[in-house]
Amino acid sequence: MSRKSWHLPRRTFLQGFGASLALPFLECMGADTKTLARPKRFCGIYFPYGVSLPKKKNEEAKWQWFPNTVGRDFQFNESLKCLESLRKHVSILGGLSHPNGRKIGGHDTADIFLTAAELKGGQLKNSVSLDQLLAAKLGDETRFRSLSLSVDGGVGEATRSSTLSFSRSGQPVPALHNPRLVYNRLFGKEDRTLAAKRQELENSDHMLDLVLEHSKSVRRKLGKQDQEKFDEYLQSVRQIEQRVERSEKWLEIPKPEVDIAGLHLDADDKTPGELIKTMFDLMFLAIQTDSTRFLTYQMGNMNGATSVATKFPSLLGFGKSQHSLAHGWNKPGGAEALGKWDRFRAEQLAYFLQRLQDTPENDGTLLDQTMVLYGSSNSTTHNNTNYPLVLAGGDRLGLNHGGYHRFGSDVPLSNLFVTMMNRLGAPAAKFVDSTGEMTELVS
Amino acid sequence: MTFRSLSLLLFSFLVLAGASPGAIDFKTQVLPILESHCFKCHGEKKQKGDLRLDTLSVDLLKDRAAAETWHDVKDALNLADMPPEKEEPLTRAELKILTGWINEKIESVIEAQKSTGGRVVLRRLNRLEYQNTMTDLLGIEMDYSKNFPPEALSEDGFRNNGSTLQMSDLQLEYYLEAARKGLAKAIVSGPKPETYNLEFEKTVKDKNRGSQILDKDQQFIVKLKDYPEEGEVLLRAKVRAKFAEGRGYPQLRGAIGYRADTQAPRLFFDPIDVTSEDWQIFEMRGRIENFPLPSKTQSKFPGLLIWLDNAYAEGRDKPLKARGRGKKQKKNEGPLTYPQIEVASLEFTGPVFDQWPPSHHTKILFLSKAKGLAYADSVLKHFMSKAFRRPVTADEVSPYSNFFQAARPKMASFEEAIRETLAMVLISPDFLYLVEPSGASKRPTTDWELASRLSYFLWSTMPDSQLFGLARDGKLSDPKVLRQQVDRMINDKRSWNLVEQFSDQWLDVGAIQRVAINPNYYPKFDEALKTSMRGETIHFFGEIFYKNLSALTILDSDFTMLDEPLAKHYGLTGPKGSTFERVSLKPTDHRGGVLTHGSILLGNSTGEDSHPVKRAVWIRERLLDDPPADPPPDVPNLDTTNPDFAKLSVRDQLAEHRKEVSCNDCHRGIDPWGIPLENFGADGLWRDQILRKKTKGKGMTKLPVLPAATLPDGSEVIGIATLKKYLIEEKDEQFAKALTSKLFTYALGRRLELVDKKALRDLTTKFIGDGYRIKNLIHLVVASESFQSK
Repeated sequence: MSRKSWHLPRRTFLQGFGASLALPFLECMGADTKTLARPKRFCGIYFPYGVSLPKKKNEEAKWQWFPNTVGRDFQFNESLKCLESLRKHVSILGGLSHPNGRKIGGHDTADIFLTAAELKGGQLKNSVSLDQLLAAKLGDETRFRSLSLSVDGGVGEATRSSTLSFSRSGQPVPALHNPRLVYNRLFGKEDRTLAAKRQELENSDHMLDLVLEHSKSVRRKLGKQDQEKFDEYLQSVRQIEQRVERSEKWLEIPKPEVDIAGLHLDADDKTPGELIKTMFDLMFLAIQTDSTRFLTYQMGNMNGATSVATKFPSLLGFGKSQHSLAHGWNKPGGAEALGKWDRFRAEQLAYFLQRLQDTPENDGTLLDQTMVLYGSSNSTTHNNTNYPLVLAGGDRLGLNHGGYHRFGSDVPLSNLFVTMMNRLGAPAAKFVDSTGEMTELVS
Repeated sequence: MTFRSLSLLLFSFLVLAGASPGAIDFKTQVLPILESHCFKCHGEKKQKGDLRLDTLSVDLLKDRAAAETWHDVKDALNLADMPPEKEEPLTRAELKILTGWINEKIESVIEAQKSTGGRVVLRRLNRLEYQNTMTDLLGIEMDYSKNFPPEALSEDGFRNNGSTLQMSDLQLEYYLEAARKGLAKAIVSGPKPETYNLEFEKTVKDKNRGSQILDKDQQFIVKLKDYPEEGEVLLRAKVRAKFAEGRGYPQLRGAIGYRADTQAPRLFFDPIDVTSEDWQIFEMRGRIENFPLPSKTQSKFPGLLIWLDNAYAEGRDKPLKARGRGKKQKKNEGPLTYPQIEVASLEFTGPVFDQWPPSHHTKILFLSKAKGLAYADSVLKHFMSKAFRRPVTADEVSPYSNFFQAARPKMASFEEAIRETLAMVLISPDFLYLVEPSGASKRPTTDWELASRLSYFLWSTMPDSQLFGLARDGKLSDPKVLRQQVDRMINDKRSWNLVEQFSDQWLDVGAIQRVAINPNYYPKFDEALKTSMRGETIHFFGEIFYKNLSALTILDSDFTMLDEPLAKHYGLTGPKGSTFERVSLKPTDHRGGVLTHGSILLGNSTGEDSHPVKRAVWIRERLLDDPPADPPPDVPNLDTTNPDFAKLSVRDQLAEHRKEVSCNDCHRGIDPWGIPLENFGADGLWRDQILRKKTKGKGMTKLPVLPAATLPDGSEVIGIATLKKYLIEEKDEQFAKALTSKLFTYALGRRLELVDKKALRDLTTKFIGDGYRIKNLIHLVVASESFQSK
């Protein structure tokens, strides 16, 4: 493995940091490749409104998203053909869904893609998402515990959330949507002295302690309803305290240097092609530099009425808005129109997977240590069953790829989550409504 | 849930209409259906699927578990999972009663769960309120909220709803960062800095783009090798316009900076209309550190670049390449076809300050005889009471004072330590939230709380010194004083925040940013027009508000507010620049009233064509406060076997699917509201024909516009003119109630509930009695018990 500019000389690094480090972490510094465990990662990618599913006899049948036959000898149809060169590293999954999602409105399911929760009551309370659960258990070794991205950014509102990530208390984790902001967080440099930064972190730590203390007395004066709202604040203070502590640990290790050529850091919703590609590039860089191991990206949410992603297909020359394409799939010409949009999205995925596959890590590649789950929580427009799903990567983590599997409606998607957790080093007997593992996917 | 998912797009239909308005009686209506269809398998004898319905509680409010079960029952019915195939199916009427009853019950449970008990909810400052508050508090203009996560609109469409506004660690992290950055500027240290003053009369030649005359592509460019890196700078440009026949004013736009290593692009000042052919001097001010300054250590340090260009609307959003970069300017022959700017000189001065230390510094670190810790404490107390918008006690100061004492020995200067301490004030909940202590029962607001409620309602920022003064004297809640203050606040320019925020959110003007115009249908449409369209609606509301015209003018008017690009787009004349002006309308212009605004028409279109359903939903939700119900899960698609379907106009397609009984239930109450607007295309322009892409082959077909519709009450309307007439004559009271309800919601920062019904009715009655004056309505809202109690 060649030494990248962000690989510090080991000596300097150790001097600066002291000996308190866990070993696995050192491996990104080019330590002995044989003796150290490689990072295990998960990346969840979501798109809204499902895909094109024309019937076999339809003249537009080649735009059927799923392959025509199951097993290892399946042929990709048009939309996923771009995955052909990665065939050995992907599985296509059909028939799966979250049983809790089947009970709710067709446009209400994005929130539970990675949580499997039953959104209950007026508050529509969610529960922890797969990435956040993994990050909580395994996220200690990187500068960032996790990274949540989306086209719209922030948290949105329940059933139309603009993030895939939910904390252990079921609170939405705000997603970043501006490429430059993501870049600055991951790789941006500050020209201040180490001592000044350290002092600032120490101050932050202290002021957060005091603010938390003081806030408890504020809470007591509030009415019951306001107290519940206020708890969001208290929780945020506690979380940011942890983040400050983490920053203190990482203070002396400079952020990695990356090449920004080809990144469109000022892309926004007016230039969706550049925006989506740059977000995938940033996720790749985050993985390559081991800045984080748990990532999510929501390529548009279900809020047709407020999401900026609604117009993306129109801007990119696919003729209609995202929602209209999805609604039109069973009208003449509609399967092809939506199919082309399906293909465009799959090409973005293929690009990302290929970059991971082309980048060596020790004696393997980045991809074979990264499980990527790509898909939607609708099969077509409003249908909450038969999610279109691609599972990629993680070959070295025990996943067995290369097939198209169809499952019955008795198999909850959570079974996949359990299977993944068990191979990512966070053993779990159950995830929400799971009933077991998916042995089909395990080598 | 409001109808915002737009799930009800053209071809999704409601099999089951939502609950009908009259309450459904369980014993006489629902029970017989359950008895004949359900109890056999889910009753006393059998409990298939572990479900027993005959003993299941029907008091959903008390029994939450039962509510969940009924919800499952409803889903099973909606998805046609039940009754099973071998059993006799429910008739449509039976299904409607059953699901209607469950819907009603569940709605009441949701209502109870969401209820605020009719009290204002603890609410944090939203993005704009934070931005304005920080600017007022620190006296420094900068983009404080740039990195904040975007905020969602509440269910009723507003950005200041306490329940919707969430807090997160990321948000808090950026609050702290913004506070530190702002304080680093507000509190200066060190001696008075040297002021640079440089004047340039000639542009740098940059691949032929540098020019004294600014046309479409040319720029006046200067390079500064040495410049200040901090503080406010002033650009003074001496320029004159050269007008072109039939075109508006050229627009002078300044820009500073560019950073090659991070590819940070230059930042622009707002463009200024150059309205005279005589020499004039224009000033642009900004803090230099807000611009992307080049790194002096870079290998090829280019110096700091400052640009002037001509941002005249035409083509200003097109990429430079498309505009023909670097072309040599043609010799000026004949009359100008594009308005130009001639630059005589550009002067750069900076940093500029009113005094040293600047007044934003001395407002925080005031002169005092106190020394050391005593001084720090008095600084803290003064700053905290402004930041918390109320007096603070010595006890409250003490944690901050403790922090200061701990930090001071570790920091290099007093200023540094005090900056950090004040940053702590700015992440405190008392600053970030409108904290209003409360107990079990409602109480009147204190004068301090009232001051904040008023200022965030009318100004979207903190109270000014006059409001604080009246609160301190306990006079603000005096009705006479309060009236005077509301009038004063409306006359203050900060009330533009209310105009802009309220009209934008109520009318969902933001919708235009979510629709992309398809250039195949509208090749001449310029994206920059969207900004002008937004401006029209907001300035229109502003004109009606400030002149205190009848709010019915919103529905129909003989004027509108336009800038030059939009006037041109509409084919009207008058405005010459980027300032919005009142333009009179004739009936033949087909304009007047918000329904004819490009913002509304484009925002509720597909970008290729009108979207009658979207437009209809907009009218019902925004103007009549009567949004249609959400569709149930898995709405079926229309059978599209009819090969001619795609050839039909949208109106005929809608008529086609209303033939389906299941669709008609809801859509007969929706579609007719949108059809009269069919004369307006997606670009907001009048049309007599509808362009439609041929399903096979290239080219377009043309369909006639048929704007006739029968409204739910049986009234016939043909086109926009009769629709407007109908709204004003028949729906004036409903519109008044809608506007009142939206303004009340915005004022309280929470959703309205059942308990507010009476207050809403009273306000509406008085609003109508007063001649629909929005200013008067504001006085009424402020005087209401809801606004003045916690």
